[in-house]
Amino acid sequence: MATLHVLSHSPFTDSRLSSCLRLLGSQDALLLCGDAVYALQAGSAQRQALELMPEAIALYALDEDVQARGVAHPTRLTLVDYPAFVALSCQYDKVNTWL
Amino acid sequence: MSKSLLIISRQAPWSGPSAREALDIALAGGAFDLPIGLLFLDDGVFQLSSAQQPGNLQQKDLGANLQALPMFGVEALYVAQRSLAERGLQDQTSSLAVERLDDSSISALIDRYDQVITL
Amino acid sequence: MKFAIALFSPPHAPSSRRALRFAQAALAGGHEIVRLFFYQDGVHSASSNVVCAQDEVDLPREWREFVQTQQLDGVVCIAAALRRGVLNDDETQRYSRTAANLDAPWELSGLGQLHEAAQLADRLVCFGGP
Repeated sequence: MATLHVLSHSPFTDSRLSSCLRLLGSQDALLLCGDAVYALQAGSAQRQALELMPEAIALYALDEDVQARGVAHPTRLTLVDYPAFVALSCQYDKVNTWL
Repeated sequence: MSKSLLIISRQAPWSGPSAREALDIALAGGAFDLPIGLLFLDDGVFQLSSAQQPGNLQQKDLGANLQALPMFGVEALYVAQRSLAERGLQDQTSSLAVERLDDSSISALIDRYDQVITL
Repeated sequence: MKFAIALFSPPHAPSSRRALRFAQAALAGGHEIVRLFFYQDGVHSASSNVVCAQDEVDLPREWREFVQTQQLDGVVCIAAALRRGVLNDDETQRYSRTAANLDAPWELSGLGQLHEAAQLADRLVCFGGP
C-alpha cells in the first residue's frame, strides 16, 4: 500500500510537514501545494529535509503554486498539473491530505 | 466487504471544532458498523488527558464523546508515542484505552487502512 | 475511477478552488464523482450569500454551477452547517432564523453521506487548509 500525502501549509509556521516526514512509508509520495511549496525554498532546513528523503519517496508539487511563488525546485521533484494530480490519486492506493 | 477508514486527529480539544468534528466522523462510522480507526497525533494527544475540566471555557467536554467510541464499535484507538513525549505526557493516564505507537508503527497503521482523513 | 471528494475549507481558502479544479480534472479525465461532501468550514463554500468583487473568482458560484451542470450529488453536512450559520429554507424556519443562505443544488445531510460516499468510491480525496 502506498499513500500520496498532500500538504498545503507553510512548513515554517506549522508542524504538518515534519510530522508527515516521520510517518512516510517506504513507497509513499509527497505532493506539495499551496503554501507547502515554500518547503522548497533554497537554503532552508525544510528543503534539505525534502532532499534527504529516501530516493524511493516520490516528490511532487502543484505547478501553479510553484510558479506563483517563484520557488526553484530540486531535480528530484516532478511538477504536476491538475490532470496529473488526478492521475497520481489513482496511481497511489490512497490520498492522505494533511488538512 | 467494507472499506476501512483511519481518522487522524491532530488538534487540541478546544482549538475550535476540529477535535469534536473528527470524533463525530468516527462515531458516525461506528454507528454504520464500518471499520474505523482513530489515531491521536500531535496536539490531538491533549484530547486524552483525564485532567480536563472545560466547564469554565463554556466548551463541550469531549470526554463523553470519547467514552462513546467503544460503545459505537470504534475500538481501534491509537496515540502517537512521539507526540506524547514531545508534550511531556508520556506518563499521562489516558481517559480512554488507547494503544501507543511509535513512528514506524504509525506508518504501518496508515498502510493497513483503505482510506484516511487527517484533520 | 470513482471519487468521493470532501471539502473542509471556506471559499476564500485556496484549497477550495484547488478542490474544484481537481474535481473538474477528474471528470475531464473520464472519472466519476460519487459525491461532493462539504464539512467543517467547507459548508461556507456552498453559501448563496458570498459576495465577490467583479474581478475576483466567485467560488461558491463556480461550485454551484459545476454541481448543476455535471448533475453531481452535492451534500453539505447539516451539523457543521448549523453551527456555522449556514441554513437552507427548512432549517431557517425550523430554528426561526431571519434568512436562508443555502440553496439548490446543495442538500443538507449527515455524516452518513460522507461514509457512504467513501464506501462507494475508489478514492476519497480531501481538501482543506490553505
